[in-house]
Amino acid sequence: MSIKDTAKSIIQSINDGDTLTTVRISADSFHADTVKLAGVLLGKKLGGIYVTTSRPSSHIVTELEEAKVDLSDLYFVDLVSMTVGGSTGDPRTLYVESPTMLESILLNITLLERRLKSKRRFVMFDSVNGLSIYSEPRVLREFINVLGNSMRIKEIYSMLMTVKEQTSDELASALKLLSDKVIGD
Amino acid sequence: MAKKNIAKPITLDPRGGRPRDKCVTHIEGIDRILNGGIPIGNIVLLAGTVGSGKTTLAMEFLINGAKAGEICCYISVTEPSSKMLSNLQTYGFFDESLVKEGKLNIFDLTVINDRLGVERLDGTYTSKDMEALLGAFEDIVDELGVTRLVIDSITAVCYQLPDKGSIRNFIFRLSQFLSTFGCTTMLISETVVDSNVQTYSIFGVEEAVADGVILMGNIIRQGDLLRSLQVVKMRGAKHSRARHLIELTPVGLAVVPLLKWGQDGGQAFT
Repeated sequence: MSIKDTAKSIIQSINDGDTLTTVRISADSFHADTVKLAGVLLGKKLGGIYVTTSRPSSHIVTELEEAKVDLSDLYFVDLVSMTVGGSTGDPRTLYVESPTMLESILLNITLLERRLKSKRRFVMFDSVNGLSIYSEPRVLREFINVLGNSMRIKEIYSMLMTVKEQTSDELASALKLLSDKVIGD
Repeated sequence: MAKKNIAKPITLDPRGGRPRDKCVTHIEGIDRILNGGIPIGNIVLLAGTVGSGKTTLAMEFLINGAKAGEICCYISVTEPSSKMLSNLQTYGFFDESLVKEGKLNIFDLTVINDRLGVERLDGTYTSKDMEALLGAFEDIVDELGVTRLVIDSITAVCYQLPDKGSIRNFIFRLSQFLSTFGCTTMLISETVVDSNVQTYSIFGVEEAVADGVILMGNIIRQGDLLRSLQVVKMRGAKHSRARHLIELTPVGLAVVPLLKWGQDGGQAFT
């Protein structure tokens, strides 16, 4: 599936009233495509929270700025920068000390959600695979379950981004069970 | 007209009855855990290990009450009130005007002891000292109209009492008059972990007399320290008994349920 089709499917999913989707993207274009998708949603006047587990948020900001995306209603939960000693001064970002502190993700999403100005909101979780480096599969499955259902209650459209080639059948099955839709090949 | 086929609502409290009025903490997540707040007039033991966030939680409890127009009081036993005040400046939720307006009152126990003449060289209160101290606490609560009180820490006070019977008597008497005044109180209890088991207090007496026990601690997960909170007991309230994770954020404490599987393997109370 091309990134254009993926974006169309996501928009359709939002219009269908879904609240939780799994988005599968190939490793070859994962980072670039994820940022493009965020840009598409922000361009549609949605406000968003970008949870990054695989790259520092400052990199994502730079890429979005280069693409001239309006970032006035985008916030970040960054699980990377503090772990690797990167910059932690961005006022639109909440930094989590360690990727093992999974509950902090939920907590920070709750805090940032109050800052969102747009009525239509999204959470982009980039990526489920990034967390699997630090957490056991059973902990990760529990976390995804809690995250997914929390987002459902909050009625925030949430996308669980997964790297197609790195997602085990077991994890894919858990994500499928939890999500309203699985978008991507 | 067709009869509506609606299931009967579930009666949540088999005891029935009317719920007690609550002292709303306004702390993110805590009121949800406590099903609306702490029953007014309850004495709650806030027990926890070093660095678990006891003082921050207690301070936010007072500051939120003061912001809502209540008269709140903090009795510092272990550090000078001036130091406590300067620490308060670091909290994003603190508002200095609350102190100036008399909504948030901070007292130093050593100053109270000096005035009462009960400061002993051997650090032990006599029964006369105990009476004087209880009388002083009662005067503060009564004269100022205090509705939220924190004693930080009750452990330090208990160290000055001669035996467990005196500790029980002291806390019981304290709770009696505080309850009469409708003053909701947090007694901070410093605890230790022995063989992976966290106690509620050093002397093992305070928890039996208190109306509620909130246990705070540190959990190790893959080498990282996480702060946890669990309500063990709260008379007059249906409450969650699940363990939660707490975090100190710029807007105060925030609480989320702790992942269940995340509590096993390499984790212990510290």
